Amino acid sequence: MLTMKNVSKVFKTDNIQTHALRDFSLTVNEGDFVSVTGPSGSGKTTFLNIAGLLETFSSGDFLLDDISIQQLNDRQRSKIRNEKIGFIFQSFNLIPDLNLFDNVDVPLRYRGFNAKERKQRIEHNLDMVGLASRMKHLPSQLSGGQQQRVAIARALATDPRFLLADEPTGNLDTQMAQSVMSLLEDINKQGTTIVMVTHDNDLANRASRKIQIKDGRVSELDVVVANSQAIA
Amino acid sequence: MFFYYLRLARISIVKHWGLSLLMIVAIGLGIGASMTTVTVNYLMSANPIPHKSSQLYNVQLDSWDINEPYNDDGTPPEQLTYRDGTNLLNANKAFRHSLQAQANGVIEPEGKDSLPFMVSARANTADFFTMFDLPFIYGGGWDSAADLNKQQVVVINSETNQRVFGGENSVGRDLKINGNYFKVVGVIDYWDPKPRFYDISTGAFNDAEEIFVPFAMIAEEKIGRSGNTNCWKTPEGEGFEGFLNSECVWLQFWVELPNQQDKEDYLSFLNAYVEEQKAFGRFERPLNNKLLNVMQWLEQQQVVEDDAIMMMAMSLMFLIVCLLNTVGLLLAKSLGKAPEIGLRQALGASRRTLFAQYIIESACIGIAGGILGLCFAWLGLQGIGALYGDMLKGLTSLDTNMVASAIALAIVSSILAGLYPTWRACNVQPSQQLKSQ
Amino acid sequence: MLELGLIFRALLRNKVGALLIGLQIALTLTIMTNAIFMMQERNAQMDRPSGLDEANLFFVNNTIFATDYNQQVALEEDLTLLRNTEGVVDAIQINAIPMSGGGWSMGLQTESGVGKDSVGVAVYMVDDHAINTLGLELIAGENFSINDIQWRESSQTTWPAKTIITQAMAESLFADDWHSAVGKTAYISQEQPMQIIGIVKTLQAPWNGWDGVERSMLVPFKMETMGSRYMIKTEPGRRDELMPIIEKALADSNKGRIIRRVTTMDDIRERSYRGHNAVNKILSTVIVVLTLITGFGIVGLAMFSINRRTKQIGTRRALGASKGQIMSYFMIENIMISSFGIVLGIAGAIGLNIWLVNTLSMSPINIEIIVFGVIVLYFVGQLAVLYPARKAANIPPATATRTA
Repeated sequence: MLTMKNVSKVFKTDNIQTHALRDFSLTVNEGDFVSVTGPSGSGKTTFLNIAGLLETFSSGDFLLDDISIQQLNDRQRSKIRNEKIGFIFQSFNLIPDLNLFDNVDVPLRYRGFNAKERKQRIEHNLDMVGLASRMKHLPSQLSGGQQQRVAIARALATDPRFLLADEPTGNLDTQMAQSVMSLLEDINKQGTTIVMVTHDNDLANRASRKIQIKDGRVSELDVVVANSQAIA
Repeated sequence: MFFYYLRLARISIVKHWGLSLLMIVAIGLGIGASMTTVTVNYLMSANPIPHKSSQLYNVQLDSWDINEPYNDDGTPPEQLTYRDGTNLLNANKAFRHSLQAQANGVIEPEGKDSLPFMVSARANTADFFTMFDLPFIYGGGWDSAADLNKQQVVVINSETNQRVFGGENSVGRDLKINGNYFKVVGVIDYWDPKPRFYDISTGAFNDAEEIFVPFAMIAEEKIGRSGNTNCWKTPEGEGFEGFLNSECVWLQFWVELPNQQDKEDYLSFLNAYVEEQKAFGRFERPLNNKLLNVMQWLEQQQVVEDDAIMMMAMSLMFLIVCLLNTVGLLLAKSLGKAPEIGLRQALGASRRTLFAQYIIESACIGIAGGILGLCFAWLGLQGIGALYGDMLKGLTSLDTNMVASAIALAIVSSILAGLYPTWRACNVQPSQQLKSQ
Repeated sequence: MLELGLIFRALLRNKVGALLIGLQIALTLTIMTNAIFMMQERNAQMDRPSGLDEANLFFVNNTIFATDYNQQVALEEDLTLLRNTEGVVDAIQINAIPMSGGGWSMGLQTESGVGKDSVGVAVYMVDDHAINTLGLELIAGENFSINDIQWRESSQTTWPAKTIITQAMAESLFADDWHSAVGKTAYISQEQPMQIIGIVKTLQAPWNGWDGVERSMLVPFKMETMGSRYMIKTEPGRRDELMPIIEKALADSNKGRIIRRVTTMDDIRERSYRGHNAVNKILSTVIVVLTLITGFGIVGLAMFSINRRTKQIGTRRALGASKGQIMSYFMIENIMISSFGIVLGIAGAIGLNIWLVNTLSMSPINIEIIVFGVIVLYFVGQLAVLYPARKAANIPPATATRTA
């Protein structure tokens, strides 16, 4: 479903060029659970941002569901983010001014669902993460783990086929991290493709595919699913 | 989506209430101050007779001293001499025309208990009433025969009618003015054009007169003239006769000319008249006749007072300060919102949607500021009304036009103020805001 | 003070915010200085003495409507009645009221003939009681004698042989030495001679906006006219009590006329300068509100910039900055922004003044007001930033180690 070929990302400051990604190529198939590891500054986040259509890239090809991303304008990219991709962040990124219901509502609004549909989806997803009873609370009234579960509910509310997680457990203690991880595994089993950046090897090993990024290049560490392929 | 944005705006305004209040008050004060002064200017420069202002022309002839222009800017005197006024009247070249002067009189009502009282009067010829559309309750104006025959007739306003005749139909009754009896031919309803375009020689915002008598009554000395008189030469003859034949200007002459051709014809007539008078040793200055319609006339006479213009300039600058204030505060607010904006982009908001969201928030602040501004404008006008008293009567009321433009100005200016901060906010690089902070 | 460069560079990184505050300060200075200047000009105009004993003067309008009326006899009767009323110091008939806006003006010239330079002057037609009634100060020459007073018919074009003028008028006619005016002849209506027999210190013309407002002349005329005014001077403190008494006495004494508009000189002054007073009040409101808006704008932006920099400020504290250093950082930052605004504002103030001078014929602004405005705005800026700066100084150093 996701194909990157020779994607490069170059940051230019006044007189220095930094290659965040260099001829990066990767294919992710429908139903994969890919974990991405690598040292700090290796380009993990850049890869995730490009995969999530949050950032543009300098050269190469990137196809998502056979659509070439490079020619799309801001509106088209926003639409794809909204419809196909769900995001989970290390720092949860809930909107502090909005209660849980309204937080989950945000992507549904951009999707243009009617009020009934939105309400039903919000309740369903909050229920799934076990927080339906606290719908009217503000994020600041929740623990870190609860906040991340709300963020997951929000990411799943639009039924994305592709979930991007950036250190989803980075700000959580071990126990909470385990429960969030189990939740992600359940979601994957139901058919959602997940790409998760993490620095925790134990968590990374629970994924069906594990890749490592080093100096902006990718290397496949351990092929669990036979039909995935990597071009190193 | 619109209502969703409204709800988000409400949440954001309430959450940052101190900042929002500051912006609303700032916009309110700016709008209030501007609307107050703009209203005064607008009313001062209002068209007093909109449906026919372009067909009514004031006649100016430059009969002044050859050694010195009447005005430094070269405009001719705003009034005419008696000789020229009556000559133009007798020439009868316009569709309608009215020669007139300000006067006053003392009315002695019938009955022992009633005290005599003073009224402001206008001595005018017959067409005055039809040219300027005076609203009659009873009767009507007199005809030109009455002017010629020097008939002692009078048109009174409803207030005088109330005072002397108890408000009943007084047409045909006699009214004793300055010891002479005048027959009432008409009673007019409230009529008070602002500015009082037909005679601004004693102030453009004076009230209309209380009674109207035929112009001939002045030469007959049946009514005392008042108003402004300017002379550049001492009258040569003796007494009132001498004054009437002098070069003193004290009359207003208006003509009604239905179309452009009429206007051009009349101007050529005026020029021919002045050339003719030069033969008698008058009009020594270069040809400088003016035929201005109502709005051109008010413009030339600068009826909008300097103080009003100065204060409008000040208050518009004041509004700019208030808007700069709002831009700054909105900018601060939008920078604080960068993480939320990044997140919304990740969740599928395009720049356009975000732009709409924050502009609506700015507009909400603008509407609130506009409403507050209207309150301030109302207070400001009350204040100005109190400070100036009767000097600005009728110039300190808000009409629907001004209310609508105040709100519009508030919304437009707050959207303008919101434009740059919103643009900055929407150019947030989402990926930079989503990493842990 | 080594921090100056650092603060400046940090400021450049947030140009827009600083620019906005700077522009606000600039416009505030522009408006403030011009407004103060206009107020000062108006105050100076209002402070000019009229030359009259205003507190004890009032006048009435006498409008004759009867057709059979001996005006000369009636005037003498009225003046006798007024001057003999208990509490009245003196009274005169007069054709115009100082400061009222309505009156007569003529030109006087030192040489007879058409086309010679003449000086405009306000004409007061009065008798020999004028100096006493109005409370004028005769500083040279003498008063009219009773024999100087002539009767004037309405529309008469000839003038009496004598006149008393104000010092300002004497200076305009005889620039080298106003004392020398006494005894000289001036010409009215281009060729009618009038001898100047006296000079009074001050007597304002009826038009307070006229640039020759100090130039007036007294002409010894009693007027036969259908509408004239009596000016009445009372003993100190008895004006208000006498006004209704005199109105009634006059009205009762002769039914062929109307006595109206019984008005004090205080009312005339108030009415005459009402526009000025109103503008002054409006302008002072504008200045105060404007300064408040700018002040609160500075507070708002400073608060936000401090909230955004909480962690950075905590880090500085952790690295050893004292509270005073944090405070002075924001105060110095404010001085830099203010200075930018003030430089712009001085240019703006002068620019606006030039516009006002050109379009509304005002006079050029003086430098003291600009200096005053600059000091006020620096002060307002420092005051406004005080609270946010103290809040910043109170951010605990431990903030640095906490994640936001």
